[in-house]
Amino acid sequence: MAKSAAGIIFSSLNNNTLSRLTSDRTVAAIPFACRYRLIDFALSNMVNANISNIYIVANYKYRSLLEHLGSGKDWDLARREGGITFISPFQTAHLSDNKMFSTHMEALKSMKEYIDEIRDEFVVLMDSDTALTIDVSDVIRSHESTGADVTIVTSQVADGYSAKTPRLMISSVAGKVTQLAMSATYDERHPELALGIYVMRTAYLRSLIDEAEAYNLNSFTMFLLKNCKSSSYMTYKYTGFAASVSSFLDYYKYSMELVKNESARESLLWKKEAPIFTRVHNSAPTKHSSSAKVENSLIADECVIEGTVINSVIFRDVTIEKGAVVKDCVLFHGTHVCKNAKLNCIVADKDVVVSAGVTLSGNENMPFYIQKGRKI
Amino acid sequence: MYCKKECIAMLLAGGQGSRLYDLTRQIAKPAVSFGGKYKIIDFPLSNCINSGIDTVGVLTQYQPFALNEYVSNGQAWDLDRMRGGIYVLPPYQGNKHSDWYKGTANAIYQNINFIKKYDPEYVLILSGDHIYRMDYKKMLDQHKATGAACTVATITVPMEEASRFGICNTNPDGSIYEFEEKPKAPKNNQASMGIYIFTTKTLIEYLENDEEDENSSNDFGKNIIPNLLGNGEKLYSYRFEGYWKDVGTISSLWEANMDLIGDDPILSLADQDFRIYSKNTARSPQYIGNSAVVDNSLISEGCRIYGTVINSVISGGVVVEKGAIVKDSVVMEDVVVKKDARVYTAIVDSDTVVESGATVGKENAGKADIALIASGSVISKA
Repeated sequence: MAKSAAGIIFSSLNNNTLSRLTSDRTVAAIPFACRYRLIDFALSNMVNANISNIYIVANYKYRSLLEHLGSGKDWDLARREGGITFISPFQTAHLSDNKMFSTHMEALKSMKEYIDEIRDEFVVLMDSDTALTIDVSDVIRSHESTGADVTIVTSQVADGYSAKTPRLMISSVAGKVTQLAMSATYDERHPELALGIYVMRTAYLRSLIDEAEAYNLNSFTMFLLKNCKSSSYMTYKYTGFAASVSSFLDYYKYSMELVKNESARESLLWKKEAPIFTRVHNSAPTKHSSSAKVENSLIADECVIEGTVINSVIFRDVTIEKGAVVKDCVLFHGTHVCKNAKLNCIVADKDVVVSAGVTLSGNENMPFYIQKGRKI
Repeated sequence: MYCKKECIAMLLAGGQGSRLYDLTRQIAKPAVSFGGKYKIIDFPLSNCINSGIDTVGVLTQYQPFALNEYVSNGQAWDLDRMRGGIYVLPPYQGNKHSDWYKGTANAIYQNINFIKKYDPEYVLILSGDHIYRMDYKKMLDQHKATGAACTVATITVPMEEASRFGICNTNPDGSIYEFEEKPKAPKNNQASMGIYIFTTKTLIEYLENDEEDENSSNDFGKNIIPNLLGNGEKLYSYRFEGYWKDVGTISSLWEANMDLIGDDPILSLADQDFRIYSKNTARSPQYIGNSAVVDNSLISEGCRIYGTVINSVISGGVVVEKGAIVKDSVVMEDVVVKKDARVYTAIVDSDTVVESGATVGKENAGKADIALIASGSVISKA
């Protein structure tokens, strides 16, 4: 059994670049993969690795995140000890201390008193903008066996990769990190994308924070870049499906990949030994009527399907009336598509109503977004 | 702690349900799956919480494990309460008597101390055998208004079936003058639903007297109700109108499942106003494949459908592979129907594997000829 670890999840990276999806919610609370929110993957990965002491750092519109998490019971994290500790910025008597957690390092510095109390030997840092299902205990084992200072989970990217903002890219030799860089595009010199999962000893995290305070470093990535040469950083290569959502288009493309690619579904959703936990609602089974035609789609509970659904991701409690055609779409919870409406390449946020006969179309490189609660 | 309640419910869930054959070999009848995501017991429990009753004793006896596990702390029905909530009440060893529950009345008798703890004015007696939505509050209101010692919920059944039920013969004001258990020549078709509201004092008195009667079979329908009538107590019938189905047989269980589908189903589970709650899990969403056909069916989470599903109710985690056909059937959790297999007019219990090319049941067989496959079976090609 792996030694005990604590988890820290950062809930709000990329709020700016995902603008539409995050106008009402933090990144961690973005609905993804039909019935989940992005944070479910980070939480489930930790829970499946027996991590039950988890700190969630939030600074941006976290109302829906809080509502989603509740007591943590749906992840088996409503514990007498540990469980979920929610950490958000607060005011202090000294206004100059008032940090808004705008970077990882700022948040880590501010939660130093919590980190000092962690008794677990290891700590796993995770961003919530990447959906993947990974065996974290194996990452910890690997970290322990290599004796690295930090183990960074990476995924090889192919030529043509591009993100909306620069991301941490890495090159490694036999697992040892040789170069780190911030880049938004593929570069053969550092072809591994960091997936926002870092494992280190708790003691190392404490020294890292001390150093950051001493040198007034405000970026976790800057710390890694600065210490790359003098420290032992190792990579852990992950080869399954990973949705690193840095933009609205990323979001759409990864959603479509889940629909179109069986191996993506198997990697993210269907691993028997690694169930993804999420907030459960009381909902009825989905009803497919005799006029329904559904092809190659993921559908959550409580839906009523009377029309046609092709290559789409349909969240809970969606109604698609007779004659309506939904193709290559992502429809969030509560969407209502009335009779004979035609939707193509649409991402509809919560509780959108598409009136009878309306035709809306985006294209695969420019999906059309309908904001929460809109009636079209 | 002070925890007085106006009305508490006692749910008789110990029945074997022997006419459900293999479905109840390992589990009690109230724990039998229904409607894709539910168990029979979800209906009375949801009715309780929807009627404002937050204290429920669940009396178990036969194969209680699955039921205990399912009910657990009652959180699924919002019955995890600091004062009240849900309690599983199995038979127990006492310092004088140690007995299995001998009959429905004896089961309640053995738990009089549980009732007394909540000091209720009224006790609602329920069974875990029926699919129905009912607001018990309306029945309680009538019980209070009439000042009855006991109110018996009744439903109109077809006259030709009346002799299978306990029949209430009533005066025009609804008071009962005669109760006949399975009469050969029924005088009317108001059948008892096995739902009673008692004024607590009367209930305890009659249960204690009944216990002393060695010839009694300790049953509500056979002993308690006739004794109340014999002593001139005030009994009223409460006429219930709405969907109600005894799912005690394979064909009635199948029929009740079929009542959930169709464009305008007789029983809708999606009803927002009077929800039926159940224990939900975090299975993955359902995936409907490229060449799949899903027609007039209920599909639950965790299913992967690559083949054809017609007029069926499919529980969570079921896989229907390419070329397979499931028609007019009820398929319970985690069943795998492999390539080109056929499932017609069947109830297939959980964790069964229908091997590639195998056939279960007969097409268009109808309710008299339902194929029943026990949990965990492996059906091979003939």
